[in-house]
Amino acid sequence: MNAIFAAIFLLSALFFLLYNPDGFLSALLAGGQKAATLSLSLLAVYCVWLGFFKVMEKSGLSEKFSCALYPLSKKLFRSNDREALTYASGNLSANFLGLPGAPTPLGIKAAQRFCAANNKYAADMLFVLNATSLQIIPTTVIALRLSFGSSAAADIFLPTLIATLFSTLFGAFLLFLFRGKAK
Amino acid sequence: MKFLSLIVPLLFVILFCYAIFKKVKLYDSFTEGIKEAIPLLISLFPYLAAILMLSELFEESGISAALIKFVSPAFSKLGIPPEISKLVLLKPFSGSGSTALLSELFQTYGPDSYIARCACVAYGSGETVFYISAVYFAGTKRKGLFKPILISLLANFGAVLLGCLLCRVM
Repeated sequence: MNAIFAAIFLLSALFFLLYNPDGFLSALLAGGQKAATLSLSLLAVYCVWLGFFKVMEKSGLSEKFSCALYPLSKKLFRSNDREALTYASGNLSANFLGLPGAPTPLGIKAAQRFCAANNKYAADMLFVLNATSLQIIPTTVIALRLSFGSSAAADIFLPTLIATLFSTLFGAFLLFLFRGKAK
Repeated sequence: MKFLSLIVPLLFVILFCYAIFKKVKLYDSFTEGIKEAIPLLISLFPYLAAILMLSELFEESGISAALIKFVSPAFSKLGIPPEISKLVLLKPFSGSGSTALLSELFQTYGPDSYIARCACVAYGSGETVFYISAVYFAGTKRKGLFKPILISLLANFGAVLLGCLLCRVM
C-alpha cells in the first residue's frame, strides 16, 4: 500500500506542478472534505448495523447462523477461528443481500482477527471477495435507472449477476492459485 | 422489485421479535452495539482521508484523463465502449464519483442504451477496491496488500469485459 500510495501521489503531484499548480491544495482539501462528509454518513450506517448485530449476538442468533455456515466458511478461509468466521460469514451474507453499509463493520472485525492470527490467506480472501462485489441484486443501479425513466430497469440483472459471479470466482481462483504455489 | 425494500424492515422485525422471545434486553443491547460505532470510525478515519485525497489528486491532476485517452483505443479493441472507460478506471478509486458518472452516462445516452447497460454492468460487477483495502485493513499491521489488490483489479476488469460482451447478446 505504501508503494501504491507513493507512486500515485507523486505522479499526480508532478502533473499538478506541470499543468495546474494552483489546483493541488484544493484537490487535497476536496479529498479531506469528502472524508469528513463520508465519515458522518458512515457513522450513521454503523450505528444502525452495529446495534442490529449486537442484538443478534445477544439473542444467540449469530451463533446459530455461524454454526450453519461454519463448514463452508472454514474451508473458504482455511481458518478455525470461530469468532472471526462468524464475522466473515456475516460480512458475506450482508454483501449478498446488498444491505448498504452493513458488511463493512463485520468485515473490519473479521479482517482484524484474521490479521491478528497472522492468517494472511483468510484476510486476502475476505478482501478479494469483498472487492469483487458479491451483491446479487444491483439495487443502486436499478434504482438509478428507474429514476432516469428506464423502461426495463431490471433487465441489467442477469448480465451483472454473471459478470459479478465471474469476477468473484476468478478473484478467489487467482488467490487460490498463487497461494498454492507459494506453499 | 418491490420485495427488495421489504428485506431490511423484515430483518429488523424478525430479529427483534426473536430477541424479545429470548428475553434479551433490547434497548440495552442495541445501544451497546452503537457504542462501538465511534471507535470504529476513528480507527479508520485516517485511511479514509488519505485514500480520498489520493483519488481526488488522481482525478483532478488530469492523470485519469490522460490515462483514459491512452487506454480507450485498447479498451474498444477488447469490446469496452470508449464512453465507459472513464467509469472502468474510476470505479476502483471512488464510489461516489462513479455513481455520479453513471448518472451522467444515463443522462447523455439514455438509461436503456447499449452504453448505459455496459456502464451498469461495469458499475455493478466490481467494487471500490482501494477504498475497501483502506477500510478493511485499517489498524492492522498488514503488509503486502499488493497481491490481493492486483488480483481484485484484474478480476473486476475481466468482469467488465465479460459484461460488455453479455450486453451485446442479451
